[in-house]
Amino acid sequence: MIKIVKRDEPSRAIFFLTPVLAIFLTLVAGGLIFYILGFKPFEALKFFFIVPIADKYGFSELLLKATPLCLIAIGLSFCFKSNNWNIGAEGQLTFGAIVSGGVALLFYEQEGFYILPIVILAGAIGGMLYASIPAILKTYFNTNEILVSLMLVYVSKLILDYLVVGPWSNPEGFNFPETRQFSDSARLPLLFEGLRIHGGIFLALAAVVMSWFIFYKTYLGFQMKVSGFSLKTAKYAGYKGKKMIILVFLISGACAGLAGVGEITGPIGQLHREVSPDYGFTAIIVAFLGRLHPVGIIFASLVVAITYLGAETAQIFMQIPKYTGQVFQGMILFFLLASDYLLFFKFKFIGSKNDY
Amino acid sequence: MNTNLKISNVTKIYPGCVANDNVSLEFNSGKIYALLGENGAGKSTLVKILSGVIIPDEGKIYLNENNLKLNSPLDAKKNDIGMVFQHFNLFETLSVFENLIIDSGEQKEGLREKIDSIMRKYNFSIDLDIPVLNLSAGQKQKVEIIRCLIRSPKVLIMDEPTSVLTEQETSELFLSLKKFSEEGILIIYITHKLKEVMELCDEVAVMRRGKLVSVSEIKNENIESLANKMVGQNLKTIKKKKEKNSSDKLINITNLNFISEDPFETNLSDINFSVNRGECLGIAGISGNGQSELFQVLSGEIISDKNSIEFDKNYIGDLNPQERREYLMAFSPEDRLEQAAIPQMAIFENVALNNYKSSNFFNNGLINENKIKEHSKKIISDFNVNTDNIELKSQFLSGGNLQKLIIGRELITSPDLLICFNPTWGLDVGAINYIHETLIKINEQNKSIILISTDTDELLKLSDKISVIHKGKLSKIMDADEVTSEKLGILMGGGN
Repeated sequence: MIKIVKRDEPSRAIFFLTPVLAIFLTLVAGGLIFYILGFKPFEALKFFFIVPIADKYGFSELLLKATPLCLIAIGLSFCFKSNNWNIGAEGQLTFGAIVSGGVALLFYEQEGFYILPIVILAGAIGGMLYASIPAILKTYFNTNEILVSLMLVYVSKLILDYLVVGPWSNPEGFNFPETRQFSDSARLPLLFEGLRIHGGIFLALAAVVMSWFIFYKTYLGFQMKVSGFSLKTAKYAGYKGKKMIILVFLISGACAGLAGVGEITGPIGQLHREVSPDYGFTAIIVAFLGRLHPVGIIFASLVVAITYLGAETAQIFMQIPKYTGQVFQGMILFFLLASDYLLFFKFKFIGSKNDY
Repeated sequence: MNTNLKISNVTKIYPGCVANDNVSLEFNSGKIYALLGENGAGKSTLVKILSGVIIPDEGKIYLNENNLKLNSPLDAKKNDIGMVFQHFNLFETLSVFENLIIDSGEQKEGLREKIDSIMRKYNFSIDLDIPVLNLSAGQKQKVEIIRCLIRSPKVLIMDEPTSVLTEQETSELFLSLKKFSEEGILIIYITHKLKEVMELCDEVAVMRRGKLVSVSEIKNENIESLANKMVGQNLKTIKKKKEKNSSDKLINITNLNFISEDPFETNLSDINFSVNRGECLGIAGISGNGQSELFQVLSGEIISDKNSIEFDKNYIGDLNPQERREYLMAFSPEDRLEQAAIPQMAIFENVALNNYKSSNFFNNGLINENKIKEHSKKIISDFNVNTDNIELKSQFLSGGNLQKLIIGRELITSPDLLICFNPTWGLDVGAINYIHETLIKINEQNKSIILISTDTDELLKLSDKISVIHKGKLSKIMDADEVTSEKLGILMGGGN
């Protein structure tokens, strides 16, 4: 008979093994779904997870998608580590894209080395401004940051919609919902001829290093750790809770804003209606799959980025909707949460002689 | 039919604390029994064992000679044991009737009539079709009682039922309980309120520190005798040396008020006291009378009017705990595992929670790990914490060692005032003695202590002056030499 017993302490090995287990279970369940849909499971999984990244171009696409996911997830980990539930990174990304796009349009057909840094900075500030709304409402009016940040996502998308259709739309653009192309000086450079991977990846890597430093080497990181374990203890230690809430939201917003900059100033080079295929929401999964650890988040962003690519390949080769990608993302989160049970409980096999 | 409930040699041990130590008791229907004891005396554990919420380590329960196996609350219900908890277990947005169906184990059809007849019989009037959130506390309690009565229980256990009731509702409840008892339901009534025991019950069992102290008939007892049994005789073995106290005022609290938005917290009203250098002020009281709020107001977790707290000639009412530490105050909260320390963090990280300015634990926003570790080693050796590994997670320390670490962390700054809240709660005798000796030493160094405690023995042993907190108000401050545990017991129960 099997008995479930509470662990004395959450297991550290299991802590890093459960994400792997979750991915494995997702593959099994995914294969099962493909089988039920009438595909050969192994072949379908190959189309989904291996074919898309088998060549140089595919690998570049993988990094292209992983970049915003990683950047946003790093930002979110500041919030999540300190018990602040910022669900609105998608909105912060969109608003960052709007602000940086607006600035890029100001420099239309101008050249200068100073333009790109200004555009990047504008994006970070845009994200911070947008993240400050839930943070200020939470600290001064006791509102729930989950609701506020989530609802603001839709507000930002409508603002973007209005701008690209209305005042900012390209005068020579045949009424397509998009702006004019940014000047080359306002764009993140592409790293290789013929591939779409761009300089945004360095922003993401810089964020990884910065977050590692803050988490493990600074007083702020220590305060976040304490607040994450127990808000009561943080209060008793005398940490300035309000200041910290606002700070982590600003960091998180800045990262999401930068991801927005990467999306519009990279390969696309203009603002358009669909700045992000829900990177801001998917990054929540990435943050947890990576255990809110900077290095973990790098791996998690790569894994989740595959689901985006795989969904496209599957649509082309197997004629199944690309929303399958979201099914996989959902399954990863689902199995991750489920396998987290193993952090606190273990199975014990007992002889039949025992009573219970 | 007569119901006989027997608890035989029940023991329940938690890490670092014996909640029930070989308790044996016998109850017979027709009487109302009181189970009396201070907080932490073990009475809640005992009734949770009876209602299947907790499984005892040893011992047996017999109902009418049948050995019961109570592995879950459902087992208790099936065996005709009903329990009304202190906090209600009702779905606020569902109607009364829907709440009652949920675990009635009956079909919907007959149930409404059955409930109606129960309500007629006991004169309850509750609208079954309104949501529970519209009910008063007293009515909610009646819903819980009806929920038990639907199953025609042989035993009904009430856990501190009057803590949420008005006077009027309390007397209604007592009438109902007496009626149930006359009909042969065995009533076990858990409380720490002495007046209620005298008014309602026929027999009283007193528990203290997990042990059953006495069982007696109410007619042989009075409030004083029960108070004495409840808080224990005053042993005064390591009574501190009384020196002539200085009259140098260190902290002065004037007209301090706190009104909470949380209905489960206690408001503090008009708190006034002062403590001199080298003095220990004890604050006695039954848990839940505002001690936690008082501690938080004193530590700065709750900020109050700037002028309400004067410390060493500075007004500090509006400062947070860290800022107060700079004025040489130190705090040891009640909850070691959820507030004073973080079990999942290493010992040295927990030491860094007391980040006073001269510690240099954090320079220019960076962690100075060497400094913290060096400091942690000193605390461990100065305060006898039984480990030499400062990277150990603090959850692996016993309660006593963790408390030594916390007290050490707070005292290493040589503060002028230590405020501690139940510093020895749940500790073994050795650790208790160590903490007590440490506290006495602080006073000898002309430093002051405010000791908020629910342990009366401890207060009498360590305090120079004692006050009692009841419903958020402090009694007048008494000289510890003139106070007896009897008198404290009466004040704690709200008497005069």
